[in-house]
Amino acid sequence: MLVQPKAKNARSKRFLANREAKVVENVKTAIFVRGSKTSKVIQDTLKDLYSLRKPDAINFTKKNEIHPFDDETSIEFFARKNDSSLFAVGIHSKKRPHNLILGRLFNYQILDMIELGIEQYKSMEELKSKMCSVGNKPLMVFNGEGFGQNEDLIRLKSILLDFFRGETADKVSLKGLEYVITVTAGPQGPNGEQGLVYFRTYTTGLKKSGMRQPRVELEEMGPSLDMRIRRVRYPVEDMWKLAIKVPKELKEVKVKNITRDGLGDKYGRVHLGKQDINKIQTRKVKALKKSLDQKPAKKQRTMNVDSD
Amino acid sequence: MDVSGILEEHKNKFKSIQVDRLIPVEFDLGLLSCFDINMLDENKLKSNPTTRNNYLKELAREGAQLLINELFSLPTTIDEDSYYATLPKPTTVLPREKPVPKEKPMTRWEKFAKIKGIQKRKSSGKVFDEATGEWRQKYGFKGVNNDDQKPWLIEVPGNADPFEDQYKVRREEKKERIEKNKRRSQRNYEERVAVEKGIKPHEMRKRELQKALVMSKQSTASLGKFDEKLKGEPKIKGVKRKFDPLVGSADKEKSKNMEILNKVNKGVTKSTVLNVRKAQRAMNNAKRNKK
Repeated sequence: MLVQPKAKNARSKRFLANREAKVVENVKTAIFVRGSKTSKVIQDTLKDLYSLRKPDAINFTKKNEIHPFDDETSIEFFARKNDSSLFAVGIHSKKRPHNLILGRLFNYQILDMIELGIEQYKSMEELKSKMCSVGNKPLMVFNGEGFGQNEDLIRLKSILLDFFRGETADKVSLKGLEYVITVTAGPQGPNGEQGLVYFRTYTTGLKKSGMRQPRVELEEMGPSLDMRIRRVRYPVEDMWKLAIKVPKELKEVKVKNITRDGLGDKYGRVHLGKQDINKIQTRKVKALKKSLDQKPAKKQRTMNVDSD
Repeated sequence: MDVSGILEEHKNKFKSIQVDRLIPVEFDLGLLSCFDINMLDENKLKSNPTTRNNYLKELAREGAQLLINELFSLPTTIDEDSYYATLPKPTTVLPREKPVPKEKPMTRWEKFAKIKGIQKRKSSGKVFDEATGEWRQKYGFKGVNNDDQKPWLIEVPGNADPFEDQYKVRREEKKERIEKNKRRSQRNYEERVAVEKGIKPHEMRKRELQKALVMSKQSTASLGKFDEKLKGEPKIKGVKRKFDPLVGSADKEKSKNMEILNKVNKGVTKSTVLNVRKAQRAMNNAKRNKK
């Protein structure tokens, strides 16, 4: 007999239901994992990224023997345990110093990941500036033509957008636009090698401008990273196709005969059936009555009813 | 009256919010992000860190200004004490976390209800208990259906044995109902699994039974050799037990034992030897999952 997996109580039932595939998904949880050997730079980076990603993040404080590019099993295991779909792994080695790996998972399997070598680093602590509040959505700015052309940079852009987008919201408080993450793709080297990527975070100050839109002033918040892209794992095509599928319920239903123009005006097209002129209602005049015989017949019927 | 002078003066009091870009910047307001693919100043980026950082900050400021200009022009709503901009849907394609949920096949009752046109009616889970003057759950903890709510008197039905305990009958009937419900839900579950695997339900049940049969055979010392054969019993594959003759050549026995000893010496363990069967099964599972 097949054994039906069943939760023992209501709480665990709710817990399991929350982990199931959904039409509107939960916020992606990120895990921050330290490798078996890490440097101060890597540790601080993970800490700072974790504080940006809070509260939907889990920080692993212990070391783990982990190398996502060589062996996927352990990261997939962690993801399954913590129900997370984003990860940041920090490793430090002679061959690849200050190595930061960012990646995402689909259905607890690695979808794509990117390895970044940190060359310059400034932590939040060093900069000691105003902090943004926890769980706030950042503004994201991507600069550089590379983000439109280079495959690796496009992948990086997609991963970073996914990493920091936070909750999906249909409205945002205009007071709550507290910080900006900018990612700038630096120029290529003389031999055509990949340029540095500059990751900066700033807190915003909104000043009066005499108009509806305020003037923005920035202050560096940290972390600030100068990174170089190392290895990139691209998604398998089939898996990617499955991952970007939009559920039927969320697809916009096309409404027939209603169009909108560029200015936002709504146009409706109305289809009318053929008009029957014989049945048209005109002015009610006694002389226009169809037949006079109808009248006595009607009277008779009402009389019959009465007699009953 | 010409007010342009006054307007100009008013404008000069503040710093500009205008940002010029050669190629217009792309926005994805649903994700609060903008993508600027204009050429950057290479010299500034390659020079000393302070100029570079200042340049990066300026770039960031301009990007953020453009984004905020867009966000502040969106239609707003007032909620509590803050203005909220209504965001459009994100345009950038980002992957999901888990696959789109599959539609569950209908249970037998659901199928029946659909044919009959029976609709679910929403009823409250509580009923008023007149004895205590309280609202109580229909079912479950402290529910009305529980046995502590049993009537103090039950009429003995005309056809029943007068000495039968009617309270016991009630208890047993309830137990039976629960069992029946469990059986049905199990059947629905089995049918659902079969549909998901693309097999007919009765075919699935047959397979499960055969599996159970094989397992039961393996659990006897003789591997079911002396068990009674069933009608249409499948031939069990992969179950072999060969015994070497007690009297034979000494060389054969020696080589066999040496083989075992060598294995132990080399440190061949379960983990180092590839279990072909297990690997095959894993492959098949992976294939099925992909589908």
